[in-house]
Amino acid sequence: MLLELIDAVVVAEPDRELLVTAERSLTYADVATRARAVAAGLAAAGIDRFGVACATPVDTIVALVAASAIGAEPCVYPRCDLSNSELLATEFGHTTVLVSEPDTGLAPARTVASLEQPASELGGATEDPVLILTSGTTGRPKGTRHRWSRLLAAAHPDRRGGSRRWLLAYNLNQYAGLQVMLHVLGTGDTLVVPDSPQPRHALAAIQAHGVTHISATPTFWRFLLQLLSGDPAGGVPALQQITIGGEAVSDELLDGLRRLFPDAQISQVYASSEFGSSVSVTDGRAGLPLSVLDRPAEAPVHFRIVDGELQARSTVGMQGYHGSEDRDEGWHSTGDLVAVEGDRIRFVGRTTEVINVGGVKVYPLPIEAMVAAVPGVVAAAVFGHPNPVTGSIVAVDVVGAEGIDEDELKSAIRTATASLPPAQRPRRIRIVEELNIANNKVRRTGDGGVE
Amino acid sequence: MFRAIADLLSRREGDAEPPKISAETAIYDDLEMDSLEIAELSVLLEDEFGSDPYSQGIVPQTVGELVGFYA
Repeated sequence: MLLELIDAVVVAEPDRELLVTAERSLTYADVATRARAVAAGLAAAGIDRFGVACATPVDTIVALVAASAIGAEPCVYPRCDLSNSELLATEFGHTTVLVSEPDTGLAPARTVASLEQPASELGGATEDPVLILTSGTTGRPKGTRHRWSRLLAAAHPDRRGGSRRWLLAYNLNQYAGLQVMLHVLGTGDTLVVPDSPQPRHALAAIQAHGVTHISATPTFWRFLLQLLSGDPAGGVPALQQITIGGEAVSDELLDGLRRLFPDAQISQVYASSEFGSSVSVTDGRAGLPLSVLDRPAEAPVHFRIVDGELQARSTVGMQGYHGSEDRDEGWHSTGDLVAVEGDRIRFVGRTTEVINVGGVKVYPLPIEAMVAAVPGVVAAAVFGHPNPVTGSIVAVDVVGAEGIDEDELKSAIRTATASLPPAQRPRRIRIVEELNIANNKVRRTGDGGVE
Repeated sequence: MFRAIADLLSRREGDAEPPKISAETAIYDDLEMDSLEIAELSVLLEDEFGSDPYSQGIVPQTVGELVGFYA
């Protein structure tokens, strides 16, 4: 499946770059050759499902392409954390885990390179499974079973492409990271791989390798804007496409991006590993148009709002959870709480993020947007802080611009939120060095914020 | 401690002149603090002094009792 996409590009232009890292560049032909060799090794060893841990993005992509060539089910683990990888291997029954470096000490580990062997004729795959772990903000991650063919259709490859340079601003264990990879493969574009998806590493890669297209989270974009404010060394990159997803977007962020990148097209994507990629909004306003509730019967994803929560019914989502039967194509919760304002559906928080202040339900996102709009605020996270009097109070952690006066900033935030009902006003404001961020997404927990 | 309370009260809208505070000042009757202001006060005390009376089930009625908790 993925190998066919690559072969199609090789036929047209064998030397086209597929992967660019700080150290090297691989053409489509290079990746096809390596993936064939690894596929031969997987087939010879009878490996039909495996984990991928602690592998470089280049090795990970080779392993994914190789798996799809023989119909094996790969699963990329989050973070390079060996004890966590061991747990995941047990949890998901992986007797093989592919790594980049030898001697990891991980029991089922094999290096990607050790599997490479002279490629014989591959049998061709009848299935195209891939297991994607959910981000698991609460407890253990769940495995969602997908098919490459469906994921590829949702990644909307574009035949007119071929000269674009996308940045990999997600990890490849994430649904969104795989979407970017598939879009690049399907279109014949080039993927620039930074040393890590952290904004400052990303900016170095953007400037060194002429990135034109980026898909990333609002948190990533907020910090990138901050890095580019003032007079950045290397100037502001000339981006053509800005895609935002994975978290709720605010108007203030969209305005900031439009100001800095007036020539870029800006799209917001609403997607999840469970119901798939479903909406792309390009009208420059935060939230979804109300019209998504009235989609025609043949649309792949439908939405409705029940008790303030968005529910989705999808034919392009996962097949089902790992170890469970295929999921029915009926209505399922998204975990996203919304409010309808005029012709717009606004995201107000996740069901797990609602703050109960003395019996009043408070949603973090509208407050966060208010705080983030205060001059001098780089990023903000609103969450519930346990309190003996009211159960919880609204707390906010704020990253301030460099050299800002902390007391003045706190006072400005109090003024900006004074018009909110008393239960919604932040009662505890901390100026922190960084927010609790995982995978370039803010975790609204209040722990891990470094003061 | 007095300053912490005064700071908190000075943020109230409309209150041109924050009330004068002494050890005898009654938190509820004189200052008319509502539960959210008490909640905010408890967080402030927790952050400033590492503990607060409310978490231990103690509800001081006057500013003096509050100060006494830390004595």
